[in-house]
Amino acid sequence: MIADAQRAETSDRTDDAELIRRSRDEPGVFAALFDRHAPELHRYVTRRLGDSMADDIVADTFLAAFGKRGRYDATRPDARPWLYGIAANLIGKHRRTEVRSYRALARTGVDEVAESYADRVDAEVTASAAHRELASALATLSGGDRDVLLLIAWADLSYDEVAHALGIPVGTVRSRLHRARKKTRAALGGADPTAIQEEADRG
Amino acid sequence: MDDLTALRELRADAPEPDAGRLAAARARLVTGTDRAANRRGFLSLGRPMVLAGAFGLVAALVLTLVQIDRTGGIGDTSPSKAARYASASEVFAQAALVAEARSTDASPRPDQWQYRKSLTRQPDEGSGAGDTMEEWIRYDGKQTAGYDDGRLRIRDVPPDPGDDDLSPQRYAGKLRELPTDPDKLLAHVRGDGHWIDLPVGEGATGAREDPDARAFRVISVYLEQQAIMPPKLEAAMYRALGKIPGVGVEVGVEDAAGRKGLGIFREAGGLDTRRYLILEPETFRYLGTRVLWLRDEMSGSDLMFRAGSVYSSAELASGIVEKAGQRR
Repeated sequence: MIADAQRAETSDRTDDAELIRRSRDEPGVFAALFDRHAPELHRYVTRRLGDSMADDIVADTFLAAFGKRGRYDATRPDARPWLYGIAANLIGKHRRTEVRSYRALARTGVDEVAESYADRVDAEVTASAAHRELASALATLSGGDRDVLLLIAWADLSYDEVAHALGIPVGTVRSRLHRARKKTRAALGGADPTAIQEEADRG
Repeated sequence: MDDLTALRELRADAPEPDAGRLAAARARLVTGTDRAANRRGFLSLGRPMVLAGAFGLVAALVLTLVQIDRTGGIGDTSPSKAARYASASEVFAQAALVAEARSTDASPRPDQWQYRKSLTRQPDEGSGAGDTMEEWIRYDGKQTAGYDDGRLRIRDVPPDPGDDDLSPQRYAGKLRELPTDPDKLLAHVRGDGHWIDLPVGEGATGAREDPDARAFRVISVYLEQQAIMPPKLEAAMYRALGKIPGVGVEVGVEDAAGRKGLGIFREAGGLDTRRYLILEPETFRYLGTRVLWLRDEMSGSDLMFRAGSVYSSAELASGIVEKAGQRR
């Protein structure tokens, strides 16, 4: 009994780094990484760009990751930050689409992205006032600031993980998050006297 | 309300997809990993073990089945007691003759497309239907295409000089450079820097690979390029395979579609798997691949693949077409 329990515990999960290492010689093993992380990543991409883009971006993310698996930092047992970082680049190519949806949500209260995954096609998803205000703030963020904010809020990554995902120092994560949250707070609070200055600083 | 809390609630009802929804994305990845496995999977880090001499040279038409007492060398890792083997030298001599009689296809244009339909079965799938994939790649390799929910999607392929994979056009160019003398061909594939140095980032595996293992692996990769294979070169490849120590031919090896063919494999000490390149027994056309696990494969304390597990693939259709999405 004890031996069984121990075995169950130790064989529970090979960490991602080990899977990736093994996939260098046995490429098929990489599919296990997909099964582990694709659902969560798909949901994140859906949340940012809508239902129709998610399949392609998830497939492209894993194919790109597979191509780079020889360069994976083996000291990192969890591959999520690495995968989110690759996905962030691909999401970034659709920046206009993303920003357009935030603007539309802010202006009309209709969220095209939420409608894209809603069960009933005819159900118009109407956002709360707070969400409209947040959307207006998200629309004004730079791509880098938005990545940091949403990786923390929607992907539940830590500061360190975001730094690793985006290839930036932790200090930069903090300052980007600070800058982004100034805008989201201001949007929720009504007005932020520093907003105009921020906009000018951003360049 | 705290802004982060409010933000976490925005689109919080976005669903996590089920396996069905992810199937197409997963299939694209598996196609990529399969292709890499076919190019790299013949990697052997073990010592080569000469078995070629064990095959009796029985003169007969086309295929002579050979009884081999396998208890001495391989012991209980032998793939199957029922496995039947053919004389490798006879098979390769016959294959070379058939290949030489093929007509040469015209060279495709860079903007034409290579179509391929394949079937794969993963080891953990049991007797399921397997995954069927249809894919198109532009002859110059600049784009790929496939159907996604009935809609044709064409994707640009960014250049990656660190990858060992080649476009159909570059494979054709590489094949044209190869010598058609079997000994010179063998010397070339044993030491071809392309298959040693690439892909970048794979560590020092390439340099550590046994030259015979590399020769078998690279010729296997080339033989899959049948649409653009010059007949004389194909003949030379079979003759070269016959000269690689440890290469044998098993009869009645099944591809993923259940078709039985000649399974060309290379036996060496220390291998966890036996990999077969399966050829149609009369035309010697490439049918598919089969990988058989000879022993349990562990990762730490995890059992990755049980001994006797099988991965297989099958080429269902292929050809050169004018446009992406066309099948003929």
